[in-house]
Amino acid sequence: MTQIKYMILASRQGKIRLMKWYIPLTQKEKAKILRNLTTTILSRKPKMCNIVEYSDHKVVYRRYASLYFICGITAEVDNELLILEVIHRYVEAMDSYFGNVCELDIIFNFSKAYDILDEMIMCDGSIAESSKKEILFTMSNMDVMENSDNLDRVLS
Amino acid sequence: MGSSLRSFIKDVRAAKTLADERSIITKQSAKIRTKLRDDHLPLERRRKYIQKLLYLYILGEKTHFGQVECINLIASDEFVNKRLGYLSAILLLDESQDLLTLLTNLLNNDLHNSNKFVVSLALSTLGSLSSPELARDLFPDVEIILKQVQDPFLLKKALQCIAKLLLKDISLLEIFAVEDLVALWQNSAICTHGVLLGIVKVLQSILLCFINFQPTEAVEELPKDMIGKLVRFVPSLFKRLQTLNSKNFQPEYDVQGTCDPFLQCEMIYTLRLFFQIDNDEINAYMDKFGDLLTQIATNTDSNKSSGQVILYETTRTIFSLHLDQPLRVLGINILAKFLAGKDNNGKYVALNTLLEVVPQEPLAVQRHRKFISRCLHDPDVSIKKRALELTFAILDASNIKELVNELLQFLDGTTDDDSDLIVYTVDHLVDAFDIHTIAGDDWKLSVFLRILKCVGSYISSEKISDILIEINNTNNMQSKHDAVKQLLTETLENEKTNEITDDNHGWFLVTVWCLGEYADLILGQSANNIVNEESLTRLLIELHFENSLDNPKLINYILTAALKLSIKLTSGKCIDQLRDLIVSHKKDSHLMLQVKSVQYEILFDQPIDVRKSILETMPKFEKVVRTTSDLRNRPLGNTPTKKESAKPDSLIDLLGGDFGSSSNNINSNENDSKANNVGDNINPETTDAMGSDLLADLLGGNNVNTSLSLNKAVSNSVELPSQAQKIHESSSLDIYSVLINSENGSAQIDIYFEAKKNVTDIKCQCAVTKTLKLTMGPLHPSASIKEKEISVQTLKISGSGKLKLRTKLDFKVNGIMTNEQFDHKYDKVI
Repeated sequence: MTQIKYMILASRQGKIRLMKWYIPLTQKEKAKILRNLTTTILSRKPKMCNIVEYSDHKVVYRRYASLYFICGITAEVDNELLILEVIHRYVEAMDSYFGNVCELDIIFNFSKAYDILDEMIMCDGSIAESSKKEILFTMSNMDVMENSDNLDRVLS
Repeated sequence: MGSSLRSFIKDVRAAKTLADERSIITKQSAKIRTKLRDDHLPLERRRKYIQKLLYLYILGEKTHFGQVECINLIASDEFVNKRLGYLSAILLLDESQDLLTLLTNLLNNDLHNSNKFVVSLALSTLGSLSSPELARDLFPDVEIILKQVQDPFLLKKALQCIAKLLLKDISLLEIFAVEDLVALWQNSAICTHGVLLGIVKVLQSILLCFINFQPTEAVEELPKDMIGKLVRFVPSLFKRLQTLNSKNFQPEYDVQGTCDPFLQCEMIYTLRLFFQIDNDEINAYMDKFGDLLTQIATNTDSNKSSGQVILYETTRTIFSLHLDQPLRVLGINILAKFLAGKDNNGKYVALNTLLEVVPQEPLAVQRHRKFISRCLHDPDVSIKKRALELTFAILDASNIKELVNELLQFLDGTTDDDSDLIVYTVDHLVDAFDIHTIAGDDWKLSVFLRILKCVGSYISSEKISDILIEINNTNNMQSKHDAVKQLLTETLENEKTNEITDDNHGWFLVTVWCLGEYADLILGQSANNIVNEESLTRLLIELHFENSLDNPKLINYILTAALKLSIKLTSGKCIDQLRDLIVSHKKDSHLMLQVKSVQYEILFDQPIDVRKSILETMPKFEKVVRTTSDLRNRPLGNTPTKKESAKPDSLIDLLGGDFGSSSNNINSNENDSKANNVGDNINPETTDAMGSDLLADLLGGNNVNTSLSLNKAVSNSVELPSQAQKIHESSSLDIYSVLINSENGSAQIDIYFEAKKNVTDIKCQCAVTKTLKLTMGPLHPSASIKEKEISVQTLKISGSGKLKLRTKLDFKVNGIMTNEQFDHKYDKVI
């Protein structure tokens, strides 16, 4: 049922820190969504609800420190409240992976942030893994393998 | 990650101006482009540039030149290259690109790789970038993983991938073996939550294929026995869901004391899809499903947000499957708890969902109106908006007083930022009064006054007309008197109190209209030192003075009010002042006002008894939805006269008669809406001679033309109806139009061509606004007409929008081709 259309991480200044599209869109459409959403969402007050209607779909967002996590979802199918939990799970996973994650971690290690996201959400935006432990386990295995590649190269 | 990526990111971040940033990015982008083109660049350095490219991607820069490069990285044997290659392929490519065919072989190899992480990367990529061709080519390879592999990590990915491929190419259902799925489901050793998520995802895909299936040439039907094989999942899904829901603590999957809400929701949704398929075997489980949902609803903690997730999913399922009434009420009560809570997201989804269920369970929703009303005052606009919609959805005769009071309180608290909401509220409020009959005119009128006072500047003229109708139709004269008195008193005292702002045009419009109509009510019974002949006259003059430049609409109303007030006054001085006011517009550059001024002056000179009968108070007005047929058959002024037969006929003429027909040009009267609704169809022969003549001359701006053409048309097969209105004239043709009817979504217009010379080969092309659709009938009786003859053409318009016509005419006069073009705007909106 979870069908996330896109996940965008944006800073409080409206800078994009990460974006992932689960539906094919043209460059122009993407740019429009990014532009419109960052202005809409950044201007919302803290006490407002985290669900926004945007064009033909809904957008669920949550702010963590200086970073906004923004998810476009499929109305009628997605459960808005569950998406908030998905975002939270993702943040938790990154928090454990980086150890007290901050915006800079994501900026400089964006490919890791993508990898964690890919372990959690697959294909057309559906949840593939709900266990943080499992995600971290896979991540560390892959990191080890990547490093051993590097090691092999140095040794040879 | 290499240091050079780091320094690139640092440089971009350190840029002081946008121009600096731009130049750093352009430089780097050009460098990446050249470097990647170099075939001898070692993979290690290549990786670095791809990483930089990904950073460019995040910045929203162009990255197309790196697309092939990702594929090269995937082709490498080293894991580190593959990992980055797949990551960048997913980001930089999408499902619509031809490049994907290059991936087929690479993916095929990697799906059989001995390293499970390589396989998992390939599965993720295939799941993200699956064109129908890729889906067909690689489906068997993914299926093999399901059959042979026992590792939950790979299984969960393969299942997600299969689910996606099935949706991509529905014909794959033919070869998909449900038995594999069943085997996995029953093998508890490998059923981690990830694998379960994968299995329900595949089930969802299959069920969606069946639910949305439309036969095509490629796939004429879906495998028939498939659903039968899937049924056995239903009871065991019940069981797993139940266990999961009642499980106490599993740290790995726990979210605030709820066990894996992600999996629970996916399971509930899967079951929902099962019951959307009309299958007897599945339907037999319906009652059990209801029981399970009740159990979940009672078991789950609604105070935690994770519990709310599941409760919300439960209610959505209950409503979408139209489960039994007790369950629906249960769902409504769950949502009401959300409304009572503090969490805004809960409130939002609750309002949203309740809105959908109101038609089925109005009473159960109404019970929670206190909480709904409370949401009207929420600081969050989206919640306010939803609460408003819901309030109007549950509003009926039994609770109208209570809810309207809430709405008025809401309006009191609004600011300029809420103008959309205000307009929405007022529109629906006025409609609500129209639909529901309410005891107590006092209350109703006081509500209108409050609305006007509070947000009069936002009300559309259409709704002002509706409010005027409501005031007009009030039976209780005492209520009417009180309301008018209050209205006038407050306006007169406004100099001191300043409660009504200058831009509150709604308030002033209604005041002026009431003054014209009902001044006698007040003057007769209860004139006092605030409301008296002099003060009312002065009020009109002042309003006239203040608005004469920028508000022709109000001036219009003022002119009519002045005319009507004149017969209600005794003071000669006041009457003279009113006369001066009317006459002052005789040379107005605003045509409408000028025409009116001249007409009213003539009326002013009529003997008092004639004036009195013409300028009587408006009769009770009934809004009628008319159809074309009854429009044609009905005799004059049928609707209003039946009710108010005591009123003199001339009144009807004032409302309708020729005035209606000419309302497009000089529609300026306070009776606008009435004239259009009541008038239009009045046949000249039945009108009272005196009234019709007088009014035709006074109010029917182009009536002269009309009657002339009538005379001319006598001998013709086509006659010009009396209400025809001239919309264009030229040396060879006069064009008239009649709006036959305009109802929700459709209108019919007849266009009459009257020839002044012998005209042949008329070709008429019309265009309407984009939101409308136009169908044109043929010219009748012919496209060639002799002098003084008439031809007619019917236009049928559907859609919604303002009625506007752009017409292009081609015709021949004495064999010479002529063309003309003109625009005409009707004051109707469909």
